[in-house]
Amino acid sequence: MIRFLIPLICLVLFFMEPVFGLFSPLNIGGELNYIVPRFLIMFLIFLTLYYDLKHAMFYGLFFGLLYDVFYIDIIGLYSFLYPATCLAAAAAFKRIPRNLLTATLLTLVLLALFEFLLYQFFLLISFTGMPLGTFITTRLWPTMIANSIFLVMLGWIFKSVIVTQLSERDNKIGLY
Amino acid sequence: MPQLLTNKRLILLLLGVILLVALISFSLRDRDNVSLPEQIIKDAVGAGQSVFSRPAHFVTGIFDNVDSLLNTFEENQHLKTRLEEFAGVQAEVKDLRSENEELKKIVGKEEDLRDFNPIQATVIARNPDQWEEKLILNRGANQGVKPNMAVMTASGLIGKVTLTTPTTSTVELISTLNPNYRVSAMVVGGAKDVYGLIEGYDAERHELLLKRIDANIELKKGDQVISSGLGGIFPKGVLIGTITEVTIDEFGLTKLAYVKPAADFSLLNHVIIADRLMPEVDGEDNGVTGDDES
Repeated sequence: MIRFLIPLICLVLFFMEPVFGLFSPLNIGGELNYIVPRFLIMFLIFLTLYYDLKHAMFYGLFFGLLYDVFYIDIIGLYSFLYPATCLAAAAAFKRIPRNLLTATLLTLVLLALFEFLLYQFFLLISFTGMPLGTFITTRLWPTMIANSIFLVMLGWIFKSVIVTQLSERDNKIGLY
Repeated sequence: MPQLLTNKRLILLLLGVILLVALISFSLRDRDNVSLPEQIIKDAVGAGQSVFSRPAHFVTGIFDNVDSLLNTFEENQHLKTRLEEFAGVQAEVKDLRSENEELKKIVGKEEDLRDFNPIQATVIARNPDQWEEKLILNRGANQGVKPNMAVMTASGLIGKVTLTTPTTSTVELISTLNPNYRVSAMVVGGAKDVYGLIEGYDAERHELLLKRIDANIELKKGDQVISSGLGGIFPKGVLIGTITEVTIDEFGLTKLAYVKPAADFSLLNHVIIADRLMPEVDGEDNGVTGDDES
């Protein structure tokens, strides 16, 4: 398989996020629902779980930095949160049984935590004045639902791609 | 020596946190221009992003088309009733325009706050985490885009340029919570034009706040609000929205009006950047007022 498949997937997901972001906010019944695509971090968590932590943290740092500079102009926010989330995923995955279901659930829990931390940060620097209740109903729920649909659809592909890459790498190491 | 190792890690962690806080506070300052590495990253990512946004715009275009197709009948009915009215209005506009030009010639006034040089741009990305209302456009300093220029769609004002790089520019939407974001505006429709400032956004009502209007002036619901051009950077006459409610502001000294924005902020696709022909000066539109400057 291609050697640079994993960074390529990261890059594609990175560029897909704002494209899907263009569809948000969705107006359902007079209420604006914000859907935030979080494809990259979900893939990075999978990478942590099935590949290795070091690679995932490196990609997290790199793409987090790009995200910070290009989209939000606050350097250090995503480039810290992406690797930190990977670290948390690695720590949590040691304690639970390893299968696709638990990986998906863990990813979603971490994603909710990730969203909540960002909300707290933006509240702190007063970029938003959204009350907690509104945040949960108009942002957290729609985001979680949309992202879990994405993850359920593509999670097993992520896993199989990463696992094949891993076995290939191990084979190579075996050769030398 | 496990003790040393943990100490080392602790120091590293502390250093990391300090660096992080320093970086965040550095980037949170009001910056006029971006540093060179940031410019390079922005241009590179922007180039990639425009490749990805093209098919996306195609898809959203299809959605828009289907949507307008579904409403065709109603729209047609509505438009037919407006058509006759329109012919009359158009004749009047033509007449007024030629009269205006003649009068200007007589007075010898050539420049107008209304005139601007339009720069067409495409939205290549919208800040995907949507905490700040920002857009990224595919036109930058190379095409003559400068910070603080007005950005609009066919239906009205949507925001202003905050940062530019050679090939991209960042737009802060008018629906931001940033307290330094002001647009000098005027209300037309009454006997006399009324001047005020668009300052702030009510996130629950999804409406803009028009502040600092003289308490003695009567405003009506349904009056149109346009940019006044007196803020120094925006051209005059860009539609902002219509008034939905008039109240007294929190200090009870001036009036406050809620303005429903004319432009739709979601699913933005093509926008126009207004490069004003009149010389630009510091004023309300770029958040620099006399008392801030000192």
